Amino acid sequence: MNRLLGRTTPLIIAIIAIGLAIACGSSRKSIEELAGEDSEIRIYEVFGMDCPGCHGGVENLVNSLDGVVASRANWEQQKLTVLVSKSAQVSDQMILDAIRQANFTPGKRVQ
Amino acid sequence: MVIALLLGCQVLDHSQVQAGGISIDAGLTPAANRWIFRSQMRILERDNNPTTPSMDMQAHMFPIMVAYGLRSNAMLMVRQAYMRREMTMMNQSTVNSGFGDLFLLGKYRLIRVNTPTHTLGIAPILGLEFPTGEEPFTSNSYDLRIGTFVSGRIHTWRMDLNFAYTWNGMAMTGDSGIDPGDAVEVQAALSRQFSVGSYADIALAPVLESSYQRLSADSNGDLAVANTGESLILVSPGVKLTWGSFILEGLVQFPVWQDYEGAQTERSTSVLLGIRVMN
Repeated sequence: MNRLLGRTTPLIIAIIAIGLAIACGSSRKSIEELAGEDSEIRIYEVFGMDCPGCHGGVENLVNSLDGVVASRANWEQQKLTVLVSKSAQVSDQMILDAIRQANFTPGKRVQ
Repeated sequence: MVIALLLGCQVLDHSQVQAGGISIDAGLTPAANRWIFRSQMRILERDNNPTTPSMDMQAHMFPIMVAYGLRSNAMLMVRQAYMRREMTMMNQSTVNSGFGDLFLLGKYRLIRVNTPTHTLGIAPILGLEFPTGEEPFTSNSYDLRIGTFVSGRIHTWRMDLNFAYTWNGMAMTGDSGIDPGDAVEVQAALSRQFSVGSYADIALAPVLESSYQRLSADSNGDLAVANTGESLILVSPGVKLTWGSFILEGLVQFPVWQDYEGAQTERSTSVLLGIRVMN
């Protein structure tokens, strides 16, 4: 047992250290940074997101809608921020349906 | 120590956070058309055979799993493992390696309730293991698995439960005449997740798992085969790091109770390291 723990404990510590290093150095542009004059920012409540891994599921589905420039989910705040082109016809209902397709429950639009 | 860590996180962080199990095929169904790739390295050891103290076994398993969301409430998963096993007895070692059996699993989300304060999900599973592996890692039988996965969260705590019954030897392909014993598994995972980076893109979660496994003795006609059949309870502290669509996970499994029919090697501490990628 000691042999096993001796071999694997440094590996586990290394994985955590690498992850934390990545965390400190990582950056992703916010919706505010991406927004231009021809776009509109909308924010929706989303319930059921558990972790950052959930972000991709809902963002991919919302981003696939015509007229959506980008979206950012935040599982901690239970919010989805969507950047929509002003010239496109993207209804709230289309975004709420995409949230449901991702297995989450939409709340109200807060902005 | 892990419980203290979990309690500490509860006191320090009141954000709405959680994480699933590590050794369990955790999680409800992914979104439609979403892929999840998962790979692990599992290191297992067995020793303390009561009649042959000099015998021990070390196994390395490398399972690869791919899951796909057929619809928002249904997923299909396929798993294939490569294994290496070294057995030592009286200072003589025997090493075997090769692919194990292919496992196909379907999961259907029956219930999912999401509210700001709690979530509940229930998903039955149906799986079939095909005897495609190499000797000595194949079971030479089609094995059917049925079960239910339950995932719940209240405020900041999450609990995952997994119940599974495996009908080993549902259809035999070999001619040994031995019917492998069926297996029952009950697994639970308690976890808490908290943010590390900005935009909540990174999260670290301590996880505490516990599992009960019961493998019935093999049978040959009406007779139980000697030195087969076992029961054990494992307690497993672990940690999970989620970074966007990547998850790194590590777990140490401690057998806290085990009971074997006849003379068999006992399960020792095992280690699991894994990675998950989601599109």
